[in-house]
Amino acid sequence: MSHKLDPEKISKSFATLDIHDYGDVLQCMRCGLCINACPTYRTDGVETETPRGRVAMIKAVIDGKIPADEEFIEHIYDCLNCQNCQTVCPAGVKAGELVLEARHRIEENRPQPALKKFMLNYAILSQPRLAKFMIPLKLYQKLGLQALIRKYDILKLISEDLKLMEALLPPLPPRPLSEELPEEIPAKGPEKGRVGFFLGCAMNLIFADVSRASIDNISRAGYRVIIPKEVQCCGTPNIAEGERTVYREMARNTIGLFGDKRVDAIVTDCAACGSELKAYREIFSKDSSISEKAKDFSSRVRDISEFLDRAIDNSLPFGPISRKVSFHDPCHLRHSQKLTAPQRNLLKRIPGLDYRELPDEGQCCGSAGIYNITHRERSMKILGAKIDSIDKTGAETIVSSNPGCLMQLMYGTRQWGKSWDVIHISQLVNRSLNSADQKK
Amino acid sequence: MNNLIISKLQESLGKSKVLSSGTELYCYSYDATPLVSFKPDAVVKAHNEEDIQKTLEFAASEGLPVTTRGSGTGLSGGSIPVDGGIVLLTTAMNRILELDADDLSITVEPGVITTAVHNAVEALDLFYPPDPGSMKVSTIGGNVAENAGGLRGLKYGITGDYVLSLDTYFIDGSKVRYGTKCVKDVAGYNVTKFLVGTEGTIGIFSKIVLKLVPKPKTKKTFLALYDDVIDACRTVSAIISRKVIPSTLELMDNVTINCVEDYAGIGLPRDVDALLLIETDGHPAVVEEDAAVIESACRENHARTLRTAKSLQEAEELFTARRMALSALARSKPTTILEDITVPRPAIPEIMSCIKEMASKYNIRIGTFGHAGDGNMHPTCLTDERDQDEIHRVHEAYQVIFDKAISLGGTISGEHGTGYAKSKYLPAMVGPKAIEVMKKIKATFDPDHRLNPGKIFPREER
Repeated sequence: MSHKLDPEKISKSFATLDIHDYGDVLQCMRCGLCINACPTYRTDGVETETPRGRVAMIKAVIDGKIPADEEFIEHIYDCLNCQNCQTVCPAGVKAGELVLEARHRIEENRPQPALKKFMLNYAILSQPRLAKFMIPLKLYQKLGLQALIRKYDILKLISEDLKLMEALLPPLPPRPLSEELPEEIPAKGPEKGRVGFFLGCAMNLIFADVSRASIDNISRAGYRVIIPKEVQCCGTPNIAEGERTVYREMARNTIGLFGDKRVDAIVTDCAACGSELKAYREIFSKDSSISEKAKDFSSRVRDISEFLDRAIDNSLPFGPISRKVSFHDPCHLRHSQKLTAPQRNLLKRIPGLDYRELPDEGQCCGSAGIYNITHRERSMKILGAKIDSIDKTGAETIVSSNPGCLMQLMYGTRQWGKSWDVIHISQLVNRSLNSADQKK
Repeated sequence: MNNLIISKLQESLGKSKVLSSGTELYCYSYDATPLVSFKPDAVVKAHNEEDIQKTLEFAASEGLPVTTRGSGTGLSGGSIPVDGGIVLLTTAMNRILELDADDLSITVEPGVITTAVHNAVEALDLFYPPDPGSMKVSTIGGNVAENAGGLRGLKYGITGDYVLSLDTYFIDGSKVRYGTKCVKDVAGYNVTKFLVGTEGTIGIFSKIVLKLVPKPKTKKTFLALYDDVIDACRTVSAIISRKVIPSTLELMDNVTINCVEDYAGIGLPRDVDALLLIETDGHPAVVEEDAAVIESACRENHARTLRTAKSLQEAEELFTARRMALSALARSKPTTILEDITVPRPAIPEIMSCIKEMASKYNIRIGTFGHAGDGNMHPTCLTDERDQDEIHRVHEAYQVIFDKAISLGGTISGEHGTGYAKSKYLPAMVGPKAIEVMKKIKATFDPDHRLNPGKIFPREER
């Protein structure tokens, strides 16, 4: 197999791109209202790094006006897929989704590095398998690094990236959470219903304490929590990298897994997982063998804030926390799931909590999956702007609800020498519920 | 442009400031104007005045055209390099240089975003009224070049009414400052006022001083709903003839309302034929007096309902929704062609009838919204560029609408400029002598026609 890129082959694959599924490329009237919302325009200040520019470039490739060459591909991969552009577009152009579709066409038609294939087609299929790569940590990092070198050929950046990868990872739990939890945890008090908990890979392997708190919150709200052990990755990394075959396989498995459990809701405390799980209904909408099940599955998926804000009623009091708090909206929550109210409602229900809105709301933190590794320099500029906007609030605690954002914000906090702490909303809610308990 | 010329340009400015790949050039071939696209030969991202000067000197030595560009949100093709050459980006020159709260002025570089000026001055209880629909993205440099209007035009005027002084580069690389921070300044010709609205064909602004006014103490916002758009138009004339000038008087027809509601979802009624968004601002006592007049004018002209915004937030939502109108209209069809006719206010019902008639005669779909209060209407055709026959009918319909606007004492463009897209309609609008005068002025500043060529003046070959 040749390892050279064949722009003509990629261009041809774009010709059949069903643009009507993506808010129609033609629908973009190039008004430019999206450009300042885009993190890469803010860092680079050029049209090729805007949603409007990316839509124009994709259309130009379809029309044969520009080649699908390395430069075009670079601009398509520079997108963080935060989807802020979709939130602000009055014409309903789905620039972010169009970029993902373009990546899919590109990946199908260019040689794939063996290690990337290994990670996306094999390793990701099972969480125990993924866990093995995390022990020892160094091996995991080496794998990530190798994947990086092969994919992006950026030897000059190796040492800096290695440093960053090490710095990004918080202290890891000794064992994955899935190994410590039972399959079912009963509701505390009278049972109001059954909740399936989707334990995402990063939560399981890195933020075990967070999901422990999430599960405790759900159980205290009066729900039996069912935690299927054979759960696979939601597929976000695959979709982001344009891989769709393994993605569909994993999604089918997940739909089947929860379909058997008779649950009222499927809750996750990872915004990225939540957004992907909610997207299954769309992805499978044209596949009659599973479309109904996918629709049923996705309609039950709830982000942890979305669920808790409704599930916690007056019988479960919040205890006071006197702190100045800001919420950083994960893009997968705000732009993909269009959720802004539940997380704020939840925080404002905590007595004594002084909620401060972040200026420049809706801006990405620069984490974006592994964007902070693959596009380190730009990611750090975006993070710097986020740290500045946090600084303006005087917040003592930054709350978020996505593992990527948490790692990025924790890193930024250390790097910029800030004193605020960074935690997941489940942890803050759990603390509040605990402090109410102690008062009794 | 050959590689040698590009590398000379890079040598002069630094590599990072020059964009020249095919993909990059493609991305500077368009702005927000439909159906117009021309690629430049190079793009220069100016960071300071020196960069502008070097670019102009380089262009002069190579005989290249230069086209200035801000955020590329123009609607008449003003920033599109019709003859190729260099696109000069001013977006990186985005510093607010001075905010003089004692003498009520702000000095900015051309790349400052319009909203950034609003935010900066309103924090000090000051007010910069011009608010074009694209204000969250558009640059002040572009606003001055196009003499941009906006929603508050009827009471507060437009960009040009706030420009005190301009530092301007001409095509030969020379720089002149016209105007001062003084409100009164009649030294020599008023070149400052002349430069405003020259659409990048006379000079390139590097520093802009804008006049500020005190922020109005209070405001009141109304939403009036109508079963017939003509009644809404009559209301506009009725309010003005009663000698009340609201700060905003905006119209949206049914097609526009539905597209905006599809995006914003703020509960606009989908079944009405038209709505008026009306705001009056100023001293509380005056606002109350004006509000009473506005209410009676609405009721006498058969408004179905009239409601007041309950909070600032609700008012802001309505305004944001209105600003989204053009882009929201784009959601229903692939191509959106809008126009910018303006007529004297008593003629609004008549031009509206004409628009409706033409939509039905030529079998096309037109959504109309606009700054009815200053007679500036945006009939917007929702069409498909791939349907040549329909595009042809659209142009025919617009020709009739333009002729009608002119015959009513109106103009072909209220705020978007002539640019490339409307240049062929200009002679009918102003007559041959005026074209001749404008051409003489242009030749004085730019004898070789290298600064933003192909704009304003129609070309035979098209």
